[in-house]
Amino acid sequence: MGPNGLGMDKDTKDDYLWDRSGEPDPEVRKLETMLEKLRHSRPAPEFPVIVQPSARPWRVAPLWLRFAVPAIAALLMVAGALRLLVKPKPVPVAQAGWDVVRVEGAPRLGNQTITAAAAAGKLAIGEVLETDAVSKAGINDRATGEVLVEPDTRLRLLASNSAVKRLALERGTIRATIWAPPGEFVVDTPSAVAVDLGCVYTLHVDGDGNGELHTSLGWVGFKFGERESFIPAGAMSRSKKNSGPGTPYFEDASQSFRAALSTLDFEETGSSPRAAAFSTVLKSARRRDAFTLWHLLSRVALHERGPLFDRLAALVPAPAGVTRDGVLNLDRQMLDLWWNELGLGDISLWRNYERSWSIGRTPAR
Amino acid sequence: MASASEERLERFAGDRLSPNAARECVQIRDHQDDSALVEAARRGDRSAFGRLYDRYARMVHGILLARVPVRDVDDLVHDVFLLALPRLHTLREAGRFGSWLAAIARNRANDYHRSSVEEVEFSDEVVERKSDGRMAPRAQVDAETTAVLAAIRGLPESYRETLFMRLVEGMTGPEIAAHTGLTPGSVRVNLHRGMQMLREKLPRGALDKPQSG
Repeated sequence: MGPNGLGMDKDTKDDYLWDRSGEPDPEVRKLETMLEKLRHSRPAPEFPVIVQPSARPWRVAPLWLRFAVPAIAALLMVAGALRLLVKPKPVPVAQAGWDVVRVEGAPRLGNQTITAAAAAGKLAIGEVLETDAVSKAGINDRATGEVLVEPDTRLRLLASNSAVKRLALERGTIRATIWAPPGEFVVDTPSAVAVDLGCVYTLHVDGDGNGELHTSLGWVGFKFGERESFIPAGAMSRSKKNSGPGTPYFEDASQSFRAALSTLDFEETGSSPRAAAFSTVLKSARRRDAFTLWHLLSRVALHERGPLFDRLAALVPAPAGVTRDGVLNLDRQMLDLWWNELGLGDISLWRNYERSWSIGRTPAR
Repeated sequence: MASASEERLERFAGDRLSPNAARECVQIRDHQDDSALVEAARRGDRSAFGRLYDRYARMVHGILLARVPVRDVDDLVHDVFLLALPRLHTLREAGRFGSWLAAIARNRANDYHRSSVEEVEFSDEVVERKSDGRMAPRAQVDAETTAVLAAIRGLPESYRETLFMRLVEGMTGPEIAAHTGLTPGSVRVNLHRGMQMLREKLPRGALDKPQSG
């Protein structure tokens, strides 16, 4: 997938060269293999501490200012004390919330139906927005982004402050285009929590509380307890209530690969069907599916981790500092180093933002 | 609600999301991220500058690789960041860190050539600095690789930089655009035309056989 609509002619659409999507071009692949040994690998030097010169350096204030400042401060303190004594009437504060527009039909915002006559409203904290089978709505926050609410959807705004914007999607589908800083836009679902890391995705929750997340651009974190999935553009992850997110995979993976993955993630099977599913996943994994195998490392039993390591290493060689033993023991640092070799961005992005929101959070019930 | 917002919502009300809205959010996101790190680095936060290094070192490496011998590229990458750090206050728009840094890298490569007394030859050897300070080979570069490097270096500047970032540094087109400040369209054209010219320059059959090891 690339930025389409750029006015390219057909022959410029060599997707593998552009973003490594689609079938690998053998010539490009050969060049990559040949040249990757020259890739940058040297760690950062020890940077000196340099405090940048201020644009407006402080100067010694003139003599009159040295007396004027304490005098003004004293006046302000007196005025403040008087104001406390007088106790002014509370001033109404603008309610925090998101703007809502009707896109189709008659979505309901709290007790109010948004019709063509009254096309806009405000989704306040704690309030519910609901669409029926023929209605759609849009919600918008200038500092955060835009969310299209598809038919048969029910969501609630849980928080909207400078640190976090949080929705609970109880059922239905939303399409989010988010430009808030990574980690700020969070959606709780009954089966997992979606954390936007930039910036376009679709999230669906079915009637049983199970979910599906598709990332169109950037990537999204999907987490339940210790089980986490990083979902890059072009990939998706299913999630099941009480189990959390399944292993994410690229949507162009083969049907057999996807079915086998579903067996491993969600089905209670005997050892023989599970072994068959595991074998299918290993055999049919493409280079592109390395990120799926990376996720599987922390989800399979110890005896399955060895063959998984070998297959992943065959697809994307483990970088310096990553050992077999370390990976089999799920060494977080080594797993993160290997992730960074997958060409899907730096995992430190997730690690940084994960700390800020995940503590004490649980999915919506 | 402002009508502009309604228009933006309508743009992705259909089955397909608007590429413009998507691009807008990517650009804002990158801008915000870099801005926060640059501001922190300006306040003396070395770890923030370290994160900028992690984010941009491959871009700088690719730019330098297009201009200077392989053996000196790693040292020059450090030089570029050490040059940039005390000059951060001169960067007017913190969100344009990537294109600003790319310009410093190009200037550093030019200085390298100006200060070299002898004519510089591109070395086939990839070296790294050991803990005792001496240089040692990091990788063997065979004749085939040397020929490919030379062919890429013979391409126009914008093509060779973009190809080095893609083929050597493993960056995708969207990443190259986000880092360098070029539009995705320009990067895509650079990659496509650069690759086309490279195919023409390389001896027939050079890319036919699978690469061993």
